[in-house]
Amino acid sequence: MRTCRWNSWMIAVAVSATVVAAPGRLPGQTSAATSFGTKNAPPMRWSVQVERVDPGDLDLAYSFHAAIYENLIGELNKSKQFVSVLRDGDHHATNARDLLVLKTTVENYTPGSETRRAVTTVSGATKLTVRSQLFTSDGKVVFERNVSGNVRFFGSNLRSTQILARNIAKALKQSSWSGPEQSGAMLAGQP
Amino acid sequence: MHRFFVQRNHTYSSCDGRALISVWALVFWLGMGALAQSGAPPANATATFRTRATHLLGLGNTKSNCEGSLSIQDNELRFQRDGKPGTEIKITSVRHVFLDEENMQVGGIPMTLGKAAAPYGAGRVVSSFAHKNYDILTLEYVDSDGGVHSAIFQLSKGQGDLVRNELVARGVPSSSDTDQDTKQRTAEVTDENM
Repeated sequence: MRTCRWNSWMIAVAVSATVVAAPGRLPGQTSAATSFGTKNAPPMRWSVQVERVDPGDLDLAYSFHAAIYENLIGELNKSKQFVSVLRDGDHHATNARDLLVLKTTVENYTPGSETRRAVTTVSGATKLTVRSQLFTSDGKVVFERNVSGNVRFFGSNLRSTQILARNIAKALKQSSWSGPEQSGAMLAGQP
Repeated sequence: MHRFFVQRNHTYSSCDGRALISVWALVFWLGMGALAQSGAPPANATATFRTRATHLLGLGNTKSNCEGSLSIQDNELRFQRDGKPGTEIKITSVRHVFLDEENMQVGGIPMTLGKAAAPYGAGRVVSSFAHKNYDILTLEYVDSDGGVHSAIFQLSKGQGDLVRNELVARGVPSSSDTDQDTKQRTAEVTDENM
């Protein structure tokens, strides 16, 4: 009798431990969640071509343009919002059917100093603000937003470009254009 | 007869001396020329140039912020991490090379953590000394599909100039050339508008 009770306790503990450790791994839950996510996610049909960064009238170091461009391509690939992410000048863009063009223009840049940040904590921040625009192939703007990337405490000045690229990718993902209604409404004129 | 023979012998030896002096002068002059040439920067494209560098961003199949050696040989620029296969860029595909300068803290994450943990603000004092100027070398190159890539390297101060000069010697336009081209183009556009 005592052994039976001990066994039932052990089974109960084991089951609860399994549920706590892997709550989303029950077979029924997994399939339901996957099918729900697939049904509601907008179908990916757009490719994006990332243009090189336009520094505007600002005296921005070339390493910053290059870092914004490279980080942006990396973050857009990671976000999996587009069928393909093409680079500026890529020949495949001429044959791509549903192509969007991402233009990035630097609006504001405050050069900071890693040493000043490390010594004072409150000063020496590197601030970068860009205007991000997404165009269709016929020149219609479907997304336009000012996005910032700042380094206030730790890291090198170039880290601001990584933060900026992540923020642009996040803004694109959260914007209404990528939703099913928006892709129907705003991009209705697309072939 | 004997005197004549001796005289002729004397004449021969005098001519030999002059010839020897002139040959010696010619050899000396040529040698100096060769020495001067060897002091000039290497002009042949097959010489290998190698330096330590940190890859910050942009090279395919290479981790960001990793150290390795940057070398230029024949028609390739190669970055190789210690004991790992390298990544090559064809120099003919490099469109521009740019050089900036950046002041950075030394020591990386371990140093940053150590400074944060140091009591009585000692970390801030260390930070005010633990910084160094680096050259930031940016290359813009195109892949086989025509897509533009950028690769950024961090080098010790002065090394960036050497790499840029090596690339420029192999026909890559540098940032100053690009600026001049842009200025020329702007001037041409202004003239056309007038």
